[in-house]
Amino acid sequence: MDRAFQLVPPGPPIQRNAQLPAESGRASGQADDQVLLRVDSINKRYADEVVLADVAFDIQAGEIIGIIGPNGAGKTTLLEVLAGTVPAESSDVQWLGRPLPSSRRREAIFYLPDGVRPYQDQLVTRVLSFFADVYRRPADEVTSTIEAVRLTPVLSKRVNSLSKGYGRRLMLALGLLAPHPLLLMDEPFDGFDLRQTSEIVGVLRKEVSKGRTLALAIHQLLDAERVCDRFILLADGHVRGVGTLNDLREGTGLTSGSLEDIFLALT
Amino acid sequence: MPLPETFQIQKARLRPLLVKELWEILGGRALWTMLVLMCPLVGYSFFQAVSLYGEASAAGLQSPVLASSLSPLDGILVPTLGASYVAVTLLFPFVAIRVLGQEKESGALRLLVQMPYRSSTLIAAKLAAVLVAWVFSSIPAFSALVIWRLFGGHLFAPETLNLLFGHLLYGLLVGAIALFAASVSESAATAAIVTLAFTIGSWVLDFTVAGHPGLLELVANLSLTQVLHTFEQGQLSLGLVAGIGTAACGFAALATVWLPPGVHVRNKLVGSIACVLAAAIVLGLATQIRFSIDVTEDQRNSFPVVDQRVLASLAGPLVVTVHLAPEDPRYADLQRNVLAKLERVLPNISVGLAGGRQSVATNAGDDRYGEVEYNYDGRSDISRSTSPREILPLLYGLADVSRPAPAPGGDYPGYPLVIRGEVALLWFFGGLPLCIALGWWWSRRLPIDYRKLQKEA
Repeated sequence: MDRAFQLVPPGPPIQRNAQLPAESGRASGQADDQVLLRVDSINKRYADEVVLADVAFDIQAGEIIGIIGPNGAGKTTLLEVLAGTVPAESSDVQWLGRPLPSSRRREAIFYLPDGVRPYQDQLVTRVLSFFADVYRRPADEVTSTIEAVRLTPVLSKRVNSLSKGYGRRLMLALGLLAPHPLLLMDEPFDGFDLRQTSEIVGVLRKEVSKGRTLALAIHQLLDAERVCDRFILLADGHVRGVGTLNDLREGTGLTSGSLEDIFLALT
Repeated sequence: MPLPETFQIQKARLRPLLVKELWEILGGRALWTMLVLMCPLVGYSFFQAVSLYGEASAAGLQSPVLASSLSPLDGILVPTLGASYVAVTLLFPFVAIRVLGQEKESGALRLLVQMPYRSSTLIAAKLAAVLVAWVFSSIPAFSALVIWRLFGGHLFAPETLNLLFGHLLYGLLVGAIALFAASVSESAATAAIVTLAFTIGSWVLDFTVAGHPGLLELVANLSLTQVLHTFEQGQLSLGLVAGIGTAACGFAALATVWLPPGVHVRNKLVGSIACVLAAAIVLGLATQIRFSIDVTEDQRNSFPVVDQRVLASLAGPLVVTVHLAPEDPRYADLQRNVLAKLERVLPNISVGLAGGRQSVATNAGDDRYGEVEYNYDGRSDISRSTSPREILPLLYGLADVSRPAPAPGGDYPGYPLVIRGEVALLWFFGGLPLCIALGWWWSRRLPIDYRKLQKEA
């Protein structure tokens, strides 16, 4: 297959729901060979305001990790710093155990920002063709991506005439066409109703089953609980907890609590 | 240290990027709006130029001497392309800014910078799109030249192509400035202000400080409007071409430095300083290149061929000291008729203004004012003439060479053409805008492959 990138080679099944995270945000007993991206330390400030303070966590290969937190917690900034599209005071990141400088993040990570409606004067089909051509995606993959996100009815429309939902679907399609092993998405369910969210969750799950890893910044905790394998709880630029729902329950002592309860307890 | 093989990037293809840039510039309204606005602007300038040329030609047909002064370069090309220049100065920046500004405002740039292209490749592709836009923006001027030929007018290919090349370089420079402005600005509006500060600021420079000596002369020479003067005079100057190319590359390099959003401002500043220094060094070297070609049919920038040959053989140094103020019309005459031609042909010449010649007013009562001193190989002579007919014999005397016999024939005949240009107005106010509207409609149609798919479905 002619691809601009090679995905992570298939390995042993990935053990999700690892152990309860340590305070630093990293699972203490996590096997290093599962770790796709290790964030040792990210610090970011705007003028005098600290936006991210010593943020550290791991992302395992083949998982969907949710970055959750209240408004202003630093979720978007964290994704932008991870993607290398925003400079940070420090951004020590390792990719499969090797340092990954900001300038080379785009080789491994693709970031879909929130609120972006690219190339508004162009036809949807032309925007998709551009991405497919750049990343050398075969026609059948492009077709299946279009079908998966149900973009077919608007292919001949201009981007600026799309509804919010279709705009999000277009962005999602662009992210799926980018062959990077790790896809970062900011508020991927914003603009979708319950049924549409379910559809998109299915699409994301299918993508992960192909060996891809997703990190999603999600505002709606219900959506996060539905789609994510693990969570990073972010508040005031600090990581308050990392782990599966069960890990977080154990960590907070809320044995039957929902993500919402844990979120309120930790933030 | 190489990164793990799992995400080694392959070389990205350039074609999709170029196609995308092309569709972006053709798909927006800015280019087509500019084209429609240019039609009456260029059309009326052409009409006026043709009318004036026709009136002058009526007299020129009666007298060969008058006819020899009728050159399509001065009469038609320069005024018609002059209108195009005004449009490129005032309107083209908006088209060029759109190439980057639109992506910045819509957030598309945040996706683009993640693609497997270097920042320099992205800017180069955008600059290529800007050049395509310039070609489109020249359609009214090109069509004017075609109409002129259909009228039976004469065009001398080298001087026409040279002038078009000059306008192309000017468009490239304005485009590069616009890209730089779009790169450093958060919004397209700010970028437009920055670009217009360069282009319109150049006019201000021309009006206020041109003709002044010293530092002010240097500043005036930085004016963008100076770029076209040499081409309009029918000269192809290698130094000027190198200078414009360097300036355009410098602005493009600055745009490249400021494009990636994930780089600290201090690093961008360091990169900018390096770019500016490199460009300044190359510009300094470019100013030392004196090679130029006189591409005019009447060879207005050169002495007669026989004199050129003799002068080119003079190896000794010639020092010319001018006792004139720079704003004195005699200095302009001397510069145009003698000094510029000497500088082109003599291998070793230096020209300088005598000290203290700052203005006409300060030289009242100075006996030497108006003199031009020629010093060749230790021998000197003085003249007040601004005509080569007097200066050349003086120089031959100083160099102790005999004056060559004038060659018979070869006089420029001039190209009088008595014509009225009303018909052209129909094209510029009707036909061409209609074609542009059709072009805009064509650019917004569905791609052919998609239409085929729809048909099959």
